[in-house]
Amino acid sequence: MAGGASRWANDKEDEVLEAQRKKEKEEKKRAKLEKQRKLEEAEARRKQAAEPESTQGLQNEVERPVKRRRLSNERDDGDVPDQPRRLMRFVAPEWGPCRHVDNFERLNHIEEGSYGWVSRARETATGEVVALKKLKMDNLNDGFPVTALREIQTLKESRHRHVVDLREVVVGDTLDEFSSVFLVMEFLEHDLKTLQEDMAEPFLPSEIKTLLIQLSSAVEFLHDHWILHRDLKTSNILMNNRGELKLADFGMARYFGDPSPPKMTQLVVTLWYRAPELLLGTTTYGKPVDMWSVGCIFGELLTKAPLLQGKNEVDELAKIFELCGIPTEDSWPGFKRLPNAKSLRLPRTPQTQGSIIRSKFPFLTGAGAALLTSLLSLNPERRPSAAEMLAHPYFKEDPRPKATAMFPTFPSKAGQEKRRRVASPSAPQRGQAPKIDAGEVDFSGIFAGRDLEESGAGFQLKLV
Amino acid sequence: MAPTPNQNSQLVNPLATTAQLSSSGSQLDGVPADLEDSVRFAGASLTQAAGMLLRLPQEIIAQAVVLFTRFWVGPEGGSLIEYGTEIVSASSLYLIAKLSPYPKSPRQILAAYAYLSSLPTSLLTSSLFSSKTPENPDAYYLSEGTYLTQRAALMKTESHILRVLGFNTHVALPYTLCINYLQTLDVFQHPQASALAKRAFAHLNTALLSPQLLYLTHQPPALATAAIYLAAREVGVQLPDNEWWEVFDTDREELGFLVVGLLSMESFVKGEEERWGEGKGRGKVPMTVEAVEAEVERRRILEGGG
Ligand SMILES: Nc1ncnc2c1ncn2[C@@H]1O[C@H](COP(=O)(O)OP(=O)(O)OP(=O)(O)O)[C@@H](O)[C@H]1O
Ligand SMILES: [Mg+2]
Repeated sequence: MAGGASRWANDKEDEVLEAQRKKEKEEKKRAKLEKQRKLEEAEARRKQAAEPESTQGLQNEVERPVKRRRLSNERDDGDVPDQPRRLMRFVAPEWGPCRHVDNFERLNHIEEGSYGWVSRARETATGEVVALKKLKMDNLNDGFPVTALREIQTLKESRHRHVVDLREVVVGDTLDEFSSVFLVMEFLEHDLKTLQEDMAEPFLPSEIKTLLIQLSSAVEFLHDHWILHRDLKTSNILMNNRGELKLADFGMARYFGDPSPPKMTQLVVTLWYRAPELLLGTTTYGKPVDMWSVGCIFGELLTKAPLLQGKNEVDELAKIFELCGIPTEDSWPGFKRLPNAKSLRLPRTPQTQGSIIRSKFPFLTGAGAALLTSLLSLNPERRPSAAEMLAHPYFKEDPRPKATAMFPTFPSKAGQEKRRRVASPSAPQRGQAPKIDAGEVDFSGIFAGRDLEESGAGFQLKLV
Repeated sequence: MAPTPNQNSQLVNPLATTAQLSSSGSQLDGVPADLEDSVRFAGASLTQAAGMLLRLPQEIIAQAVVLFTRFWVGPEGGSLIEYGTEIVSASSLYLIAKLSPYPKSPRQILAAYAYLSSLPTSLLTSSLFSSKTPENPDAYYLSEGTYLTQRAALMKTESHILRVLGFNTHVALPYTLCINYLQTLDVFQHPQASALAKRAFAHLNTALLSPQLLYLTHQPPALATAAIYLAAREVGVQLPDNEWWEVFDTDREELGFLVVGLLSMESFVKGEEERWGEGKGRGKVPMTVEAVEAEVERRRILEGGG
């Protein structure tokens, strides 16, 4: 069609003009920045040469503005601004626009998770290898997803030896507003989940201590900074070939207060690592949910297999009660008032209520079992804080934590090919909070088969 | 209740670099610096007014104002020839509220802005700070078509803000510090204590609108210290006669600079009101791309003719 063609031609022409205009502007900017840089260098040299100025009395300054700072609002184009230049200026972080993802070449796919995909990539200019995580942009109804914003904000703020370093955020094509946002992170060779799957034997006790110390120091840092991770699990814990552990995946993280903000979603933490209070539907929770997950990770490191592999929420609770015992008003005051607790029927006989953690891990020392038991306290109040955990005698007794430099190295899957993933539940999706209300859930028979279970026969959970 | 943020994030903001302070996207597009100051001031006041209308806590509003201000700074910042001030203000508020415990829906935000832009003046400082209870903003009528168009613009601008700021959405504020410092200075016994705290907070609020971009060039401890210093002189509370400000990481030079900056706000605001106030001078501050272009053109013709 002629009309279509000419319109196309016009569009094309407009596009060319627009591109031209953009290019001119870019060049102006570049020239400007270059000029600025030179001026700054000159000023820095001048500053270095100059003696420190004597400070006048403050009263004087108030009455009579210091000469080298203007108060008028107009700034001459290209002039050196009359802003104070002080050491702080070099220390303070800066901001600038996101760079384009084209500055990186994708090397290989590492992993696809529920919130995005991760690649190993190389920055073209520097040759440096990084990890690129593409954020999933679903639920665009409310604009930029708040979960993605929180992931960026919390990770940006968490500068710590044992938290993965977020270098910058880069974007894809600007035409499509939300299409593509990527986190550029330091690359680590392993995650603990994949690594364990390929190991013939579990980590040694001395290695487990080192891993746990690093993990809990990261969690301590987050909690001190009012951040809950809310998705601690082995696949979100990275490790490099120097035995250094770094916490990753802040896709569920958020700030919290004390007391906790009301109405937080209980739909957090991957099922196998989810604390009982979450499963019972609490909406006011805090640091102990992360500490529960740390306990699950501890158990997993000991046996090389996830500790509490429930098939669904009900089954997860059953597995928890089976391992840790049945909660009572004594051990966990008020748990019966939690939303999902009403539909539970629990056994009344007290002798069936104890924890079997000690007997399940016969090779663990007394101190180790005590730590694991306290981390897996049903009552969140009874779980130790990350700081308390770090001070635990378990880490002081023999065998001592192994120096990270002495860790064995492992072949990296992330470094070469796409990983195969052994099935495990993924991080919870946003949406309906789970309710345990399949009628009544009967846990009263939970320990009927304990003897069998301990000899390896498993047991059935009764659903009434 | 509000979380008590960690020490670092409470004390440290990203600051504008010298290069960012020396030029801006708007100036590269030919917008005169004084016009830019006027529009940015009107936009910051608009953000403040909209936040109050939406009953957001001042800490949330202040973060939005800082975000709004950061957006326009530097050669790579947003240009008034490309982005409308109103929509950038609305998106900043929407974005910050979304991250806070008080999220607002796009409809609530847009209704508030529709109401405010229907007012005869674009300098909302005096009218709204004097706390006339405004009408219910939710009730302000927005046709469905307008709503959908503006909603799309709100989202689009939100993502542009994030890109231009490199996702630096974190803003540290001086309010809590200010209270802590007053406690440390042990002034709460003083009969004028509450007047002092009020006055200091008022200075911190006004500084948000400063054409000197005080929140982009100075860290929260220095802002809090200067506000206290000035407020104490104004309400006549005697502070220690040693160099107490050094305890709060502020040296004499920076304190002097900030106090002068705070003091200059009064005459700056007066000047803006002379030029753009209701029934005065030229009418409303240009707050859309078209209005800014028209104003730039008008000035060019005036200058060319004269
Ligand atoms: N910085 C990194 N270096 C190396 N590998 C990484 C890095 N970050 C993530 N990975 C790998 O990618 C996987 C998924 O990353 P991440 O957990 O951040 O994404 P996700 O989509 O949120 O995951 P999920 O929803 O499954 O928890 C990790 O388990 C890890 O194997
Ligand atoms: Mg993950």
